Amino acid sequence: MNTAIPSKGSGGLRALLNQRKSRAVIIQGLFLGALLYTVWFIVSTTAHNLTERNMASGFGFLLQKAGFDISWSILPYDKGTYLQVFFVGIGNTLILSAAGIVATTILGFVVGLARLSRNYIARTLAGIFVEMVRNTPLLLQILFWYIVVFSQLPGPRQSFGVFGLMEFNNRGFYFPAADLTGLVGWLVLAAVLLLIAVLFLWRHDRKRRAQLGRDAVPFRPWRDRALLVLPVVMLAAAAWQAPWDLPRLDGFNFSGGWSVPPSFCAALVALTVNHAAFMAENVRAGVQSVPSGQHEAGFAIGLHPSQRMRRIVIPQALRTIVPPTILTWITLIKNSSLAVAIGYPELISVFMQTSLNQSGRAIEIVVMVMAFYSVVCLAISGGLNLYNRRVQIAER
Amino acid sequence: MDQPSPPRIFTPRSAEAPPEQVVGVQLWLRRNLFYSPGSTVFTLLALTFTAMIVWSFVDWAFVKAVWVADSRKECQLTSPGGACWAAIIEWRKGIVYGRYPVEHLWRVNLTFGCLALWLWPMAVPRLAALRPYVLVTTVLLFPFFALPFLSGGARGLVGQAGFALSLMGLVALWSAALAALWPRSGAGRRAAWVLGEGRRIALPLGFVLAFAISWQLALPHVSTNLWGGLFLTLVIAGVGISAALPGGVLLELARRSQMPLIRYTAIVFIEVFRSVPLITVLFMAVTLMPLFLPVSWQLDKLMQAIIGICLFSSAYMAENVRAGLQALPRGQYEAAEALGLGYWQTMGFIILPQGLRLMIPNIVGAFIDMLRDTTLVSIIGLYDFLLMLRAIGHDHTWLGLYVEPLVFGGLVFFVLCYAMSRASARLERKLSRRWDKGGGA
Repeated sequence: MNTAIPSKGSGGLRALLNQRKSRAVIIQGLFLGALLYTVWFIVSTTAHNLTERNMASGFGFLLQKAGFDISWSILPYDKGTYLQVFFVGIGNTLILSAAGIVATTILGFVVGLARLSRNYIARTLAGIFVEMVRNTPLLLQILFWYIVVFSQLPGPRQSFGVFGLMEFNNRGFYFPAADLTGLVGWLVLAAVLLLIAVLFLWRHDRKRRAQLGRDAVPFRPWRDRALLVLPVVMLAAAAWQAPWDLPRLDGFNFSGGWSVPPSFCAALVALTVNHAAFMAENVRAGVQSVPSGQHEAGFAIGLHPSQRMRRIVIPQALRTIVPPTILTWITLIKNSSLAVAIGYPELISVFMQTSLNQSGRAIEIVVMVMAFYSVVCLAISGGLNLYNRRVQIAER
Repeated sequence: MDQPSPPRIFTPRSAEAPPEQVVGVQLWLRRNLFYSPGSTVFTLLALTFTAMIVWSFVDWAFVKAVWVADSRKECQLTSPGGACWAAIIEWRKGIVYGRYPVEHLWRVNLTFGCLALWLWPMAVPRLAALRPYVLVTTVLLFPFFALPFLSGGARGLVGQAGFALSLMGLVALWSAALAALWPRSGAGRRAAWVLGEGRRIALPLGFVLAFAISWQLALPHVSTNLWGGLFLTLVIAGVGISAALPGGVLLELARRSQMPLIRYTAIVFIEVFRSVPLITVLFMAVTLMPLFLPVSWQLDKLMQAIIGICLFSSAYMAENVRAGLQALPRGQYEAAEALGLGYWQTMGFIILPQGLRLMIPNIVGAFIDMLRDTTLVSIIGLYDFLLMLRAIGHDHTWLGLYVEPLVFGGLVFFVLCYAMSRASARLERKLSRRWDKGGGA
């Protein structure tokens, strides 16, 4: 764009406007001015409004006593400070998201593979499931699971029991809990030993591979599996030794053991079902992206259909499946905030509703909550970008 | 060694028998349902299970259902194990319109009827060329048409002019449609004249006429806190998508800008809004906007929620715009540069018209997402479709009736979203075919 046609005013304003570089400086200068003015306007208006309404500001309130109770939390909490409320909310959000991510990934794979099944019924049912879930709002689904399913369970007196170990009723789900405090030292020691063993064997293998060549070191599945068995044995031994606390009916309600409220269960099931439907589509697309020659090659070397899937198709499909799956996880973490609608005490509920109403520090609280979600989501998508780069290089 | 081997005579094997069956119900069943013991067991179990679920639903929703009753008690007395649809039927106006005054419901109906007229050329294959214009006029002009009807009350000169322009837009769109569909007929010829030789006379005359109409149009004001139900859901989603489209285009152009300040501002905006849940944006809009704005500018809750949704959806739409623009071959940019077009000319005449056409299925998808996400406004207390449905259970005659409204709401959402996603998938197939045939670059 060199339209510097000499005119009467050349060298003056017109030339400055017509040159790309100077124009960019002028436009950005104007933009910066507008941006700064907007920021100044908002800041000054806010300051004015705050003084007018006698509202305090600053993060000092975080150390004040919140003074309200939280119905259920994964982290210990007993009417602590607002900062504690913030972390308890984060804990509740993260435990719901983590459980949801695990369950979603499993169910998503199952439904996605079912959509590709040879069996007409499996295919059709999976398709109907996906369409039904994808075309209704998540909030409605959460309410549905809470109101139609989990609130309709019998009361504590008529609770469903499983061998007296677990109890299901409309107050929550009760599990036996082991008191591991006496065994923490042993567990930590065993974990450290396991870590050392894994690190040692890994370095050993790497050294041998470097000496003897890439394929000379045989794959030793039994040794690796034994290493996996070890922690299970350790946990089992700990569980054997630990004193167990079973749920039992105590007056009108259950006590003892470990329990989750019905709102947690409803939110978990709704989030899982919803995101699994979206993930199933990714799994299906990923499997279909593997060239049919790969299926046929597996067939030609005489692999059983399940082996073909497990050893040939899925490993190649994973490259396409993993990125959208991780995006689904991010969506799930964000959508776990909808559990606020059924009273699950997660971050939005305890911090953005209760704490905000009590303390009135709207700006600080909104900034903190948004910062939490931004950090978590950007960290995960940053990890995803790293992974993508690695996979792409490996591909060439 | 010396001995010659006996001569080997070629004897062809007898031909294989033809396969017993190549087509037919039995073969299909054997191939798709009963091809192995495991699949047989699965098929039988799944069929029984599905039949049980479907039957218990049909039994509850139709066989034992109560359609006419005055209260929940009456429903339960008539048929204990059945759905009580009487509540939905009695609340039908509230579910659709919220608390909008009954004598003014025609205004809502008229607005949505006109929207249907406006969007109708989208669905006609022979009017594919009009689609970008339909999209742009709906987004830019329709709000000026809808606001005087839905809200009513006094409006400024800008509102009057906007209303007149929107009326003209509708007439022009229909003239173009008529002229394209029936070029030989009298109406078609007249429509072509309006847009062709006659436009010097027709356009100013039309504007004066439309302005006069808008002058005469005086409807009483209906406060937005009376809006509700499905109508409110559609308004929020519609305004959200209308604002998201220009907002997303601007954000994406800013993100592609050569100027670092503008680019980074756009990136930060997009990334922040894409990484937080919508509900936090809504809470932000409701709690912070009253602090950020002077007391004289205070907005009602609906406006705050809509602004929050617009910011949020613009950031998401920017991503769709990016996909649409990336699908264009580089040659389009180079050709524009070769013609000596400037930035805004390149974007306005070459890139965006083609990109928008490619984006239409994505935009429909974004609208479906928005329709589903709009239910979140019920958490901040706006009486949208979902909260209206839940309100039935708080009404003293229907106290505790929560299940039927939820099932009904799910059904309505399913029908709306499924129909739209089907239509958009069809459109997408058609578009991709045309792009292949037309030979991209």
